[in-house]
Amino acid sequence: MLMDVLVNGITAGSVYALVAVGMTIIFGVLRAINFAHGEYYMMGTFASWWGIETFDLPYIVSIPLALAVVAAIALAIGLLVMRRLIDAPFQIGVVATLGVSLILQNTVILIFGGTYKMFDGGWIEPVEIGSVSLSQQRILIVVASLLIFAALELVVRKTRFGKTMRAVAQNIEACNVVGVDVPRVVVGTFVLGCTLAALSGVLTAPVTVSLYGGMGTSITVKTFAIIVIGGVGNVSGTLLAAWLLALTESVVATYLGLQFRDGVAFTALIVVLTFLPGGLFSKRERF
Amino acid sequence: MASVSSHGVNTHGNYVYANRQHGLRIAGFAALVAALAAAPLVASEYQVHALIVSMVFLLPALGLNLIHGYAGMLSFAQMAFFGIGAYTSALLAMRFGTPFWLNIAAGGLVAGLVAIPLGVPALRLRRYSFVMCTLGFAVIAQTIAKNWVSVTRGDLGLSNVPRPRIALWNGGFEISDIKSYYYLALMLAILAVLAFIAIVSSAAGRYMIAIREDETLAASVGTPTWHYRMIAFALSAVFAGAGGSFYVHYFTVISPTVFDPFYANTLLVIVLGGGVGTVGGVILGSFMFVALSEALRIAPDIRMIAYGVLLVVIVFACPEGLLPLVMRKIGTSPAKEVANAT
Amino acid sequence: MPPDPNAALSVRGIEKRFGYITAVDGVNLDIHAGEICGLTGPNGSGKSTLFDCCTGLQTANAGRVFAHGMDITGWEMHRIVREARVIRSFQKAVVFKALSVEDNLVLAGQMVGFPGMASTFGIGPASWRRVRTLREQAGHLLDMVGLAHMRHAPAGKISFGQQKLLQFASMLMPQPRVILLDEPMAGVNPVLIDRMMENIRRANQEQGITFLVVEHNLDAMKALCHRLVVLSRGAIIADGTPDAVVREPSVVEAYLAG
Repeated sequence: MLMDVLVNGITAGSVYALVAVGMTIIFGVLRAINFAHGEYYMMGTFASWWGIETFDLPYIVSIPLALAVVAAIALAIGLLVMRRLIDAPFQIGVVATLGVSLILQNTVILIFGGTYKMFDGGWIEPVEIGSVSLSQQRILIVVASLLIFAALELVVRKTRFGKTMRAVAQNIEACNVVGVDVPRVVVGTFVLGCTLAALSGVLTAPVTVSLYGGMGTSITVKTFAIIVIGGVGNVSGTLLAAWLLALTESVVATYLGLQFRDGVAFTALIVVLTFLPGGLFSKRERF
Repeated sequence: MASVSSHGVNTHGNYVYANRQHGLRIAGFAALVAALAAAPLVASEYQVHALIVSMVFLLPALGLNLIHGYAGMLSFAQMAFFGIGAYTSALLAMRFGTPFWLNIAAGGLVAGLVAIPLGVPALRLRRYSFVMCTLGFAVIAQTIAKNWVSVTRGDLGLSNVPRPRIALWNGGFEISDIKSYYYLALMLAILAVLAFIAIVSSAAGRYMIAIREDETLAASVGTPTWHYRMIAFALSAVFAGAGGSFYVHYFTVISPTVFDPFYANTLLVIVLGGGVGTVGGVILGSFMFVALSEALRIAPDIRMIAYGVLLVVIVFACPEGLLPLVMRKIGTSPAKEVANAT
Repeated sequence: MPPDPNAALSVRGIEKRFGYITAVDGVNLDIHAGEICGLTGPNGSGKSTLFDCCTGLQTANAGRVFAHGMDITGWEMHRIVREARVIRSFQKAVVFKALSVEDNLVLAGQMVGFPGMASTFGIGPASWRRVRTLREQAGHLLDMVGLAHMRHAPAGKISFGQQKLLQFASMLMPQPRVILLDEPMAGVNPVLIDRMMENIRRANQEQGITFLVVEHNLDAMKALCHRLVVLSRGAIIADGTPDAVVREPSVVEAYLAG
């Protein structure tokens, strides 16, 4: 029982972490919270499912397909909407991304219908590790998310793109002065963040099995909780916060009841906002 | 570094100063009321129903306009307060058989009272943190409504909420036909609009605008900013709670779906689309929303997509909302007055 | 050193640190009632931080602030404004742009015009009377600063210099005892600078308001102030009549070094 709780928590936490780190880096460069973030997760899942159902693709092929589809959509949204949010008052960011969320979610529902779908793919063979039995897919999720976090840390610290990203996050005006193409960095970061969310969706689908158009909303709100708990803009804090939240949810779902699981995120959010506005893992200012 | 917060452009873009067209406004309001009073004579039953719905949504929309358009805080808690008002009224009417007017007052009052302890942590926050925190209230309210089965009957919700009764010397009568509901809703909407105008045109309303414009500067002219933010938050909850109360007495059912993001988005479309920080804009917004949603009734997905497109287009293309745009087109623009004055 | 009970504003041992940086380092200062005192110094010398600590915008790490002998340390800004009648201006945010010129003044006067929080929600004749009185008062002040012809314009639409004049007028609305001006002449054209100085002098002479003015424009300071205090690296390095202070070697050195 306890082992299951732990395994579920770590798996779900890794999933959340991938989504949340995308939102955190987007917030870093844009100072805007992406209310549509969960929709990219949802679209990743749907794109993969669509590839498998329609073209009978193997799961492994559907992953790059899903990432490409979501990246293309994110690029379009980035150019049409997100780019205009540079230097915009915060309410505009809230309302515009909320609008995008409505558009994406309901377009998917319009195309594929509002019913639950079954995801048929992935590696769900159980593996025995000591006394614990868990599916290969869960191991993949955890390993992949750790690798991606390591890679992301490397990209942000070492690459040219990562350095420009950090520069934009710190001071947009200065970047404008020295000739950094700020809109380009913003759109690039946005596409990267959304693609990470999509990857998370694709990796999770074999475990959660069912998918539906409205599934992004609860992911978005959980992501809020995670980035607030982890400290906005703090990449490793995001990972820890995601695990913490997912473990708590797992404990609550097991011992109190499944219906209370979704309340955990917001209770945590409100408690952290009230008592530790900078988050658990950083001393940064409120946002 | 402590400096005065500079929120940059005022996205509201409204001009609250224009008192010169007072007469025109009163005439416009009177004409609207007259038209609405006459509407059931010509409108179909279905159209009357649509008008009732728009007047029900007008109340939480006015509340959102107060907290966002005037006090400058974007709150997603409006639908939570709407739901609290609705559940309060339904439970009172079902368990104690209390009269309608008491229920609606209690709905508003309870929502306002709940807002105060929620405001204590929430009002320490600004911008995104406040938005998320208030969004959290809606989610938690929904969780409670779903799980407190002994009181709320969970997902089933409450049904067969009694219809309003009007007490008269001969024992009174029950409001059950749609036209009586319509006039009740109209009366309530007029009262709400008048109350709203009274609040925003008072000295307190001026303080709220000052807080929206620049909180530090507002404190420097002696505004106890925290108190007025709290009052605005609680009053916005009262409007929403009263709206929820009428909602439940009209539809006679209430379930946790009332806390869904759909309704919160609807309020945003009404307030931002109509004209944030104006009274007429929000009235226009509620009717516009109902027209839109009824026109797209056959396809709820397309309706939501239309909402989404509308929100995106509004914030970038006309952040002031429709009313100021219309006003400018017909040439009674405050901006023009200014050009003449300077 | 105890606070001078006759001083309009007394600062005792104010210290403010940001991390490892000490912005204000144990400043003692008495602003005497009725004087126009200038406060100047190189950028980063701690003028603004001292201002912020006196008006409740920031909390000092140590030290106390007194207004007319009343200990106002740790009060919130709105309370300092209301109860101690110590009012300040800001460099950047100047007026409420969405409100009309006249409403900016009415707003500033509300704290004396309306007795309590409940009364600000009033809608009856008593409230109308209160607002009418404030509008009349606003009219006089707008005449004084020369903005009467644009009283109905939104404050955001008038020039920056006019906004600064409007800000100054709005500070006179609530019958202040001390006014702290943060760079009132910065970004204002020479004609309006003269008008601003004239208004400060009049308010000082006719209403006995005490002024503490932070300003870089030394010529204006020499012409305006009775006394000049120079701050450098968070400490007072000179204090005296403007003419004497600008000749002091330490002041010259601080300005050249800064």
